[in-house]
Amino acid sequence: MDHIWGALVMLASWKLMLTITICSVYGLFVGAVPGLTATMAAALLVPFTFFMDPLPALVAIVTMSAMAIFAGDIPAALVRIPGTPSSAAYTDDSYELTKQGKAELVLGVDVVTSAIGGLMGAVVLMTAAPLLAEVALTFTSFEYFWLAALGLSATVMIASTDPLKAGLALLVGLFLSTVGLDITLGFPRFTFGSIELLNGVDFIPAMIGLFGVSEILRNMGSSHLQYPITSVKAEGIFKGVAKTLWKYKTNMVRSGAIGTFIGILPGAGADIAAWIAYAVSKRFSKEPELYGKGAIEPIVDAGTANNACLAGDWVPALVFGIPGDSITAIVIGVLFMKGLRPGPMIFEQQPELVYAVYLSFIIANILMVPFGYLAIKVSGTMLKVPRNILMPAILMFCIVGSFAINNSFFDVGLMLAMGILGYFFENNGIPVAPIVLGMVLGPIVEQNFMVSMIKSDWDLTQFVGRPTAAILAGLTILTWLAPFIPTILRKFRSAPAA
Amino acid sequence: MKISDTVVGAGFVTAGALIIAGTMNYPILDGGHPGPSLFPRILGGLMALFGGLVGAQGLRNRDTTEDVEWLLLHKNTAFINAMFVLVGVAVYILLVERVGFLLVGALLLFVIMWRLKVPTLKAAVVAVVFTGIVHFLFAKIMRVPLPMGILWW
Repeated sequence: MDHIWGALVMLASWKLMLTITICSVYGLFVGAVPGLTATMAAALLVPFTFFMDPLPALVAIVTMSAMAIFAGDIPAALVRIPGTPSSAAYTDDSYELTKQGKAELVLGVDVVTSAIGGLMGAVVLMTAAPLLAEVALTFTSFEYFWLAALGLSATVMIASTDPLKAGLALLVGLFLSTVGLDITLGFPRFTFGSIELLNGVDFIPAMIGLFGVSEILRNMGSSHLQYPITSVKAEGIFKGVAKTLWKYKTNMVRSGAIGTFIGILPGAGADIAAWIAYAVSKRFSKEPELYGKGAIEPIVDAGTANNACLAGDWVPALVFGIPGDSITAIVIGVLFMKGLRPGPMIFEQQPELVYAVYLSFIIANILMVPFGYLAIKVSGTMLKVPRNILMPAILMFCIVGSFAINNSFFDVGLMLAMGILGYFFENNGIPVAPIVLGMVLGPIVEQNFMVSMIKSDWDLTQFVGRPTAAILAGLTILTWLAPFIPTILRKFRSAPAA
Repeated sequence: MKISDTVVGAGFVTAGALIIAGTMNYPILDGGHPGPSLFPRILGGLMALFGGLVGAQGLRNRDTTEDVEWLLLHKNTAFINAMFVLVGVAVYILLVERVGFLLVGALLLFVIMWRLKVPTLKAAVVAVVFTGIVHFLFAKIMRVPLPMGILWW
């Protein structure tokens, strides 16, 4: 209780409230403009967080990401283009309903389910994270190695439609994490004589390049586009929402749970949560034939799940230092930048900070309803912002933001190189998010592997010598076998008949 | 810019091989155990393996889907616009220390906006005002030492 009071005191400052307001507006804008993603917004926020205290920095990311994931629903409903990938699953349904004259109901359901989903995720975060932190205190390098390996495996096998290409992206990220002085002997690896590379590939300019510059390059062919926008009467958005949500209350609980679970799973983010909640919703629906043709039910499900996922993503990030998705990968980078080491000890050493993060989730999701209402009210104007001015302006932020971290032009060059890499990868069906997860998880995997090998005198059996390590190893192997399980089960079932 | 999976796969096989080759002279730990080279070699090996599989998949599917018409690149608006961004940032890096952020930043913004068909006067005004705002935000409020170059303050 003392910690909650301490967290409230930390949050009760006008500066923090101003940060929350500015980041809400920023998140809503970025989410509502197609082509700008929540991850890109988080990457561009980092240079600013560099100059903030730890709490406002974390609160800024929490608020911004929650608002952006909701706001992605606005262009999905109005112009059939998801504002962020997290809204892609139910874009067709949203737009079909808009064409039927129900845009207000869709947006009302979007904003309220987002807020409810976010609050459900926050409650799980508040209860699960401290419990898991107790368990994590007993972890040694063996368990941490397997946990990171599980995160890598989930990124490739679950969070991607093409595991081979996701695997390649992950390997690129892991390779980038090896650049610089090695952890066993301090030997410089892949530095090519560069002094800047001795400390490794800096995470922040790389992120800005991968998510910011590559997005700008992708938008270069369509910068002249103007969207035909359906006008919305914001005053009417809450009419009929309560009745709809009451009808689908079980769906909301189920999708909130799915979203949070996907979030807790290392490597999978809000877009995956939305797709899985959509698929489960269709499987259990009484009207699956309406899905994709203007059904409100999948919007309730997937809209709840993607926001619930956001808080879930913070569980592995705070408890183990293993990112739940690319946004929490950035959060881990910010925590390290602030001299804080994510892991179970943060719950003992900085409990107020952790509780303040919990509370900021609750505040952000409560504020989502009035802020969301205002965003819907000005949605027409936001979608009319000329992209041929917006994209160069974002490029300027990318350049200055990359420079600001180390005051180095080398980092601006790094940003450019990673931007080209991200652009090329995305255009060839290779996802970019695994690169970031690889860069964050690489040092964790290598360090814990080498420490474990040296302390066990290179005895590999020690890796499964402890019960928790053995369970995590089993889960990792299961993740790799996941795509083959249906085939194996089918064979088992058909065997007696044969 | 989509190129065939066969070429992408071959590229990753080469990259994996180069990573392994790059670790050949790395020192080893006491007792002859591998040290700094172990992790990169595993990664290089896996990269070559996965690259090979993607390449093989491309060959099997006869994937020759390329949306790039190499000979017509100079007429591809998206490509030329992207080149303006890439070359623009490279020129920015080369000039900014000598000439200063305010001038080079505004010029970069102007050139890209002009290329994206923003009316000249509007592009010039937006470029100057926006660069000024970014300078104020980063240099004055956040104390980032953006180079002043030939300007005095």
